[in-house]
Amino acid sequence: MKSADPALVSLEGVSKSFGSVQVLHEVGFALDGGTVTGLVGENGAGKSTLIRILSGATAPSAGTVTLDGRPLPSTPHAVIAVGVSVIYQELTDIPDMSLLENVLLGNLTARGGIKRQRENRRRARQGLARVGLGHVDLDTPIRSLSIAQRQLAEIARCLVREARVLVLDEPTSALPERDVETLLEVVRGLRDEGLAILYVTHHLDELFEIADRLVVLRDGRKVGDGPIAEWDEPTLVRTMLAKDLDEAYPWRERALGETVLVADGIQAPGVRGASVTARAAEIVGLVGLAGAGRTELMRALSGVSPVSSGTITVDGIPVRPGSLRAAIRRGLLYAPEDRKQDGLVLTGSIESNLFYGDYREVSRFGMLRPRAALRRASRIGQDYSIRLRSPRQAVGELSGGNQQKVVVARLSERAPRVAFFDDPTRGVDVGAKSGIYAQIFDLAERGTAVFVCSSDTDEVLAVADRVYVLAAGQIVAELPRDRFEREQILHLASGGANQNGAVKS
Amino acid sequence: MSQSPVTAPSFGSQAATVGRRMVNSNIAPIIVALVIVSVALSFLTPNFLTASNLTNIVTQSAVVGIAAIGATFVIITSGIDLAVGSNIALSGMLGAIAAKATDNGFVGILVVILVAAGVGAVNGASVAWLRLAPFIVTLAVMGMARGLTLQISQGQSVYSLPGELNWLGSSAILDVKTSALVTVVMFLIAHFVLSRTTFGHRVYAVGGNAEAARLAGINVRGVIFAAYVIAGITAGVAAIILLGRLDSATPNAANGTELQVIAAVVIGGTSLFGGKGSMLGTLIGVLLIGVINNGLTLLNVSSFWVQFVQGALIFLAVLLDSFNTRRLTRRTAS
Repeated sequence: MKSADPALVSLEGVSKSFGSVQVLHEVGFALDGGTVTGLVGENGAGKSTLIRILSGATAPSAGTVTLDGRPLPSTPHAVIAVGVSVIYQELTDIPDMSLLENVLLGNLTARGGIKRQRENRRRARQGLARVGLGHVDLDTPIRSLSIAQRQLAEIARCLVREARVLVLDEPTSALPERDVETLLEVVRGLRDEGLAILYVTHHLDELFEIADRLVVLRDGRKVGDGPIAEWDEPTLVRTMLAKDLDEAYPWRERALGETVLVADGIQAPGVRGASVTARAAEIVGLVGLAGAGRTELMRALSGVSPVSSGTITVDGIPVRPGSLRAAIRRGLLYAPEDRKQDGLVLTGSIESNLFYGDYREVSRFGMLRPRAALRRASRIGQDYSIRLRSPRQAVGELSGGNQQKVVVARLSERAPRVAFFDDPTRGVDVGAKSGIYAQIFDLAERGTAVFVCSSDTDEVLAVADRVYVLAAGQIVAELPRDRFEREQILHLASGGANQNGAVKS
Repeated sequence: MSQSPVTAPSFGSQAATVGRRMVNSNIAPIIVALVIVSVALSFLTPNFLTASNLTNIVTQSAVVGIAAIGATFVIITSGIDLAVGSNIALSGMLGAIAAKATDNGFVGILVVILVAAGVGAVNGASVAWLRLAPFIVTLAVMGMARGLTLQISQGQSVYSLPGELNWLGSSAILDVKTSALVTVVMFLIAHFVLSRTTFGHRVYAVGGNAEAARLAGINVRGVIFAAYVIAGITAGVAAIILLGRLDSATPNAANGTELQVIAAVVIGGTSLFGGKGSMLGTLIGVLLIGVINNGLTLLNVSSFWVQFVQGALIFLAVLLDSFNTRRLTRRTAS
């Protein structure tokens, strides 16, 4: 459905840098009225930044964004007022308020400070009717509605504010399968009303159902833009993914040892009956979209978060699931996804951060041995190529990549039986990335079984000996290295059917 | 010191490292403040810079100082102990009653320490295992402990305590008050524990980032519990000194002491956000408060102003702490 309307929103040469990191490079495209534009790209491709720019939450470093030919205002509030609304992945409603109050949140009609009830109800009902919720009682507490209905109510909230441009960020990520079609139907209806819609998703199949046009981002650059008819899934996937990543992570053949970890039927928050194994010296990748349960599975296996059922054995000996201390005692160590939040004590020195939790080498009878600690810290600094001035420097002064090396070093120095690296290269530059993976290869070569996941699927495929593909908390496939095929894996991860006979676990 | 991306770090001498650490921590400005205030006071009043007045300051600071030792542990874990004043009163009162009843000062000392440690354990268990907010828990315990003290004593003081119980707070060894000696010795021990033991290291880790500490395998709850018990025990020692100084237990003893204790710790550069602080800083904070109190008294300033000045000092210290923390976060955010 193409319309002759001129472009409503137009982005020209939009660039954005955070410090020295450029996340968007001169991106330009237009959003037309009566058109659904699909925006795709891997995590870190720049989609979120682009959305933040469109919402007015952040300003581009260069380039222009215009609405009806006029510059887009620079505050979220003003952007909403001119008719551009962003609907985020997570619900932003207030559960204890009624449907009516939520739909009119911050937008009640009032005269002299007194709410005009009848007018308000009329407007809310009108907005809700456009998203197919016209039949729901306005006074229902919104918490009693389904997630899908609440999502639609969020859209209605934007419509009441007379939005002409809607940005939908992963709108179906929290929805059960059967509700996805309902949402897509609503989106089609709004497009036919003439709204310009930017639809951002990982689910490629949805795009082929709903989008009129696709814009593809990779590493902050626009690498593809064209009407839907020009795209098919393989082309799209090839456009999304960079091809030259293999070289950055030289995978080496390793002699794998005995099976170290066996986990069976793990049920945990966000994990539904996962069974995995890992052998000594093996690097096992967990691949999945955001929210597929990669982090959750790692946290469940390593005792960091509670496990409701399932068994875990290490070297044949059962470990009590959900007990962090039991897991650490058996040599299961977890390096968290967010190093600043969970991995490091930023107020401490590099030296301190290297020894937290394991004082065997640097203390005697509970007393620290400062000289031994300093010697050991500088040895580790060298071994792990951490760029530091002194081990007694605050760890917060290091760059992100070097901070991550401290986390990796602390974990590796404890010679774990099984190490879990949750997105170890998040937010670090390419150089530091290969440095971090070099450490992980070394650790595996010393006989540790390693689990690794990343928001960058290519990266995992480059380093792993074997991968498990996760979708919606379940393991949907297990593939050895000689059967790694990006397109196939991405297809599986986005909930697609198992085509080429991947091993289903 | 090389800034180039060599991996081999270069080290200064041990002394240089200690010096740099002192500058890096927040102690430097308060040392300067202590010196300036002391110099000013020695000009303003002839009585300030006399040997007897200076020992007097240390003796006067003993109760707050010893309680501040425990509070330093608690605040580094990013907690707070508001119950310290009423803990001093309760443990002192029960100890005095026990000592009178048995006519044995040692029994009294034992009871004081056990009760004080028990109150600390209640605080610690509530924070560590019941996951209650330290501020609220210790506020509640503060009320309960003071209420118990008043109830048990029926609002009456207990006088004429056995000699052993008074010894710590009232006698002297070679002209030096035992209370001053005890204060110094306890600071030395606490400094060692905090800076040179694995337990001290864990205290900083827990306060700096409890989740990171947990993931690294540190028993976070155990550390928090221990910190509050230590704070209880130091409150007990402070109570014994107070008993000796007054030769009595009064139900309103140490009323409001928590404010001075927290002030001393925070002025000494320990961050209310946790993870940062030192015993040396607390000692200097205690001395600064002691010197200011003493100076204001010597200058015949109304005691109402003394309280105001203490409040203002806390305000300044917290402001400084907040600035420092924000600077660190900004630097690490990039």
